[in-house]
Amino acid sequence: MQVRGGILGYLLISTLFLASCSSTNRLPGYVYFRLSSNPTTLDPALITDVPSATIAAKIFNGLVRLKDGFEIGPDICERWELSKDGQVYKFFLRRGVNFSGGREVTAWDVRYSFQRILDPKVKSPNAWIFEKVEGADEFRAGHAAEVKGFKVVDTFTFAIRLKRPFAPFLSMLTMTQAYVVPKEEVERWGVDFSSHPSGTGPFKLKEWLPNREVRLDRREDYFDTTARVSGIIYKIIPEDLTAITEFELGNIDVISLPASAYSKFRKSKKWGGHIVSIQGLNTYYLGMNSSRPPFDNILMRRAVSYAIDRKRILETFYESRGMLASGPVPDVIRKWDIKEKGSGPPEFKPALAREILDTLGMVGIKVTMYVTAEQEIIDLAEIIQSYLSEVGIKVVIKQLEWSAFKEAVNKGEPDMFWLSWWADYPDPENFLFPLFHSSNLGPGGNRARYSCKEVDRLIEKGQYATDVRDRNYYYQQAEEIIVRDAPCVFFWHKTDYLVKQPWIKGYKAYSIYTMDKGTGIWL
Amino acid sequence: MKAYLLKRILLLIPLLLGITLTTFSLLKRLPGDPATGLVGERASPEIIAEIRKQIGADKGFIAQYKGYLTLMMRGDFGRSYYTNRDVLKDIRIKLPNTMKLAFSAMLIAVPVGITIGFIAGYRRDKLISGFITAISIAGLSIPVFWSAIIIMLLFSLTFNLFPPSGTGGFQFIVLPALVLSIPAASTLARVTMTSVADVMTMPYVNTARAKGLSPIKITAVHILRNAIIPIVTIIGLDFGSYLNGAVVTETIFGWDGIGRFTMEGIMKRDYPVILGCIVVSTLIFVFVNLMTDIVYQYLNPGIRLHDKKR
Repeated sequence: MQVRGGILGYLLISTLFLASCSSTNRLPGYVYFRLSSNPTTLDPALITDVPSATIAAKIFNGLVRLKDGFEIGPDICERWELSKDGQVYKFFLRRGVNFSGGREVTAWDVRYSFQRILDPKVKSPNAWIFEKVEGADEFRAGHAAEVKGFKVVDTFTFAIRLKRPFAPFLSMLTMTQAYVVPKEEVERWGVDFSSHPSGTGPFKLKEWLPNREVRLDRREDYFDTTARVSGIIYKIIPEDLTAITEFELGNIDVISLPASAYSKFRKSKKWGGHIVSIQGLNTYYLGMNSSRPPFDNILMRRAVSYAIDRKRILETFYESRGMLASGPVPDVIRKWDIKEKGSGPPEFKPALAREILDTLGMVGIKVTMYVTAEQEIIDLAEIIQSYLSEVGIKVVIKQLEWSAFKEAVNKGEPDMFWLSWWADYPDPENFLFPLFHSSNLGPGGNRARYSCKEVDRLIEKGQYATDVRDRNYYYQQAEEIIVRDAPCVFFWHKTDYLVKQPWIKGYKAYSIYTMDKGTGIWL
Repeated sequence: MKAYLLKRILLLIPLLLGITLTTFSLLKRLPGDPATGLVGERASPEIIAEIRKQIGADKGFIAQYKGYLTLMMRGDFGRSYYTNRDVLKDIRIKLPNTMKLAFSAMLIAVPVGITIGFIAGYRRDKLISGFITAISIAGLSIPVFWSAIIIMLLFSLTFNLFPPSGTGGFQFIVLPALVLSIPAASTLARVTMTSVADVMTMPYVNTARAKGLSPIKITAVHILRNAIIPIVTIIGLDFGSYLNGAVVTETIFGWDGIGRFTMEGIMKRDYPVILGCIVVSTLIFVFVNLMTDIVYQYLNPGIRLHDKKR
């Protein structure tokens, strides 16, 4: 009797439980993408991660926007003027640009949004974007109630005065953090604006189920070309294999191909023709701590460069999924050639490396290499370790998970480390100033702790030069010295491979997430 | 019984204090600074210092721990450093998902494990019990990530019966629950088998047979009832651990549960999330253990939950 009662109870519980579950289906007219992690915040002032920035690009707009070929074009503003001295930018706003709440954008909104980034109370990690604006320091220090350099000329004209000419400034205004937000919504939601964003973009946030999905709906009143899909759904799927299974089942429309699946898809008859590739604005490098022995010696650093056959590693281990780097600046945005004149990128010459080490009496030296605990990177580190051991450098690999790795590298703990740098904006300056200027040691981006007065001077000259030819000249000089001094071994610029479903039309991959407004794609 | 419950609840206070203190000290000793994670790839030392101040990381250990305890007393777990979301609110969303998954896994594991184990123990056949032992060892030894991948490839990709990922209703829960039930069912089968085999040799079973009782009654009243104590212990332990989240299963199947939430918190050094999850997990574990103890007494009144003056 008791047994029967137990079984009946079990069946009853199971039925009730299963009945409480419901099913969901694909929404018609929506395009489905995958995110590998949950976006952290949708408040442009606080965004530092790619998933968040990818979504923010669909919800918000800036004054200017990156167009194809990395040209800077108008967005919320219809045109702009730069003063002769290169210090004052005047933006003329479009009429009829509305926030998703319905209110029209004015110059006051632009001022509010930009000043907010600098406001110490907001604690934006991205305040550096506007640090070149006149009065920024006074405002941050609490000596001024407003940023002097942000000026509302009239309702639809906004001006920015810089402390001195700064060439990459317009590029920086295309960044996520320079998006325009409505003051009333920010104040209404407070810290929760991060999950209740509203902007001027082609889409608006319909629903965000953290760790599950983000749903964006098309805005019919978007001021530019409206989207052709009804909306976008981002599925948050942490596992690559799961994402690929979802893609193969047709539940996801486009996915970025992880390294492990690249060959399978490339060779597949079904998918081979649907692979899209995009040259990324990134540089993968092996950094060497140039501030202390043994790598404070330029010869030691060059010996490491000579010892590693980057080309072979790229072609075999990396299956040619990138372009060999000849310096820190990716070729896509480099307007000059790195010339071979003894200062060019070191070739693979293991005998020379060994000779240098012999001369320096460094054969058998032990160095540490820190890497993040990802299988692909660990494998690569072992390859590098084997090349260096051939010439007499003993590498001890230390794996750390990302936060611990970042802290250790920022502090200059390791002798060597494997890292990459991805562009925030498509200007060579973005690969030179943060990575090699001596004012940015550690967390500022210069993790190789490289310091060279001449390079500092050249980068600064490039930043302040108003003529593009001058700028490129200074950047070229700086890059050549960096390549000669070899604080890093520049490996490659990674190419991203994506695969799309046959029913997806008009899809284009972009090097920088801010370029993708999601309006070109349709089903 | 009341006195016993009260005692268990009172014991929770030092337990929670101990657990939070241990976690707090461990987190502080862990390499990796939440502030460096928050600022992105390009930040000045001033900004990092500002962020540290904002999240209270610039204060001493005791001040930070005290601050956290004060917050917790008010039933507030704080906000995530990264998402700025209320940790308690997020736990309220994720915990029911984890409970659903744990419950579904047990719904599969308990009948399957007990039935298989019972048959093996009851039949006392060397071949069958050897076979079941082999299967249950395999079920226990196969890593979850492997069985998860195989099950996903089979049921999603090949037969397209269930979606490979997502959080939601029945169709989403089947695969992760199945994966999660394998080790639990295996342990249960083994324990049931041994326990039933033990009881079968007891004189009272022979007495019952001699009395001419029906095999069903012998099984239900004399064998199962006496063999059930270790089985309940295992169910309680497995259920308790599943309720604290199954990180691997949740990650592979994209299930929005407490395990994945905790793991992400740990990876990002998101202290409020980690501490919130640990406090909730402790409470759950204690509650499940308490329930198990109560069930013990119901099943075997010989077990005393409270001390009796002798």
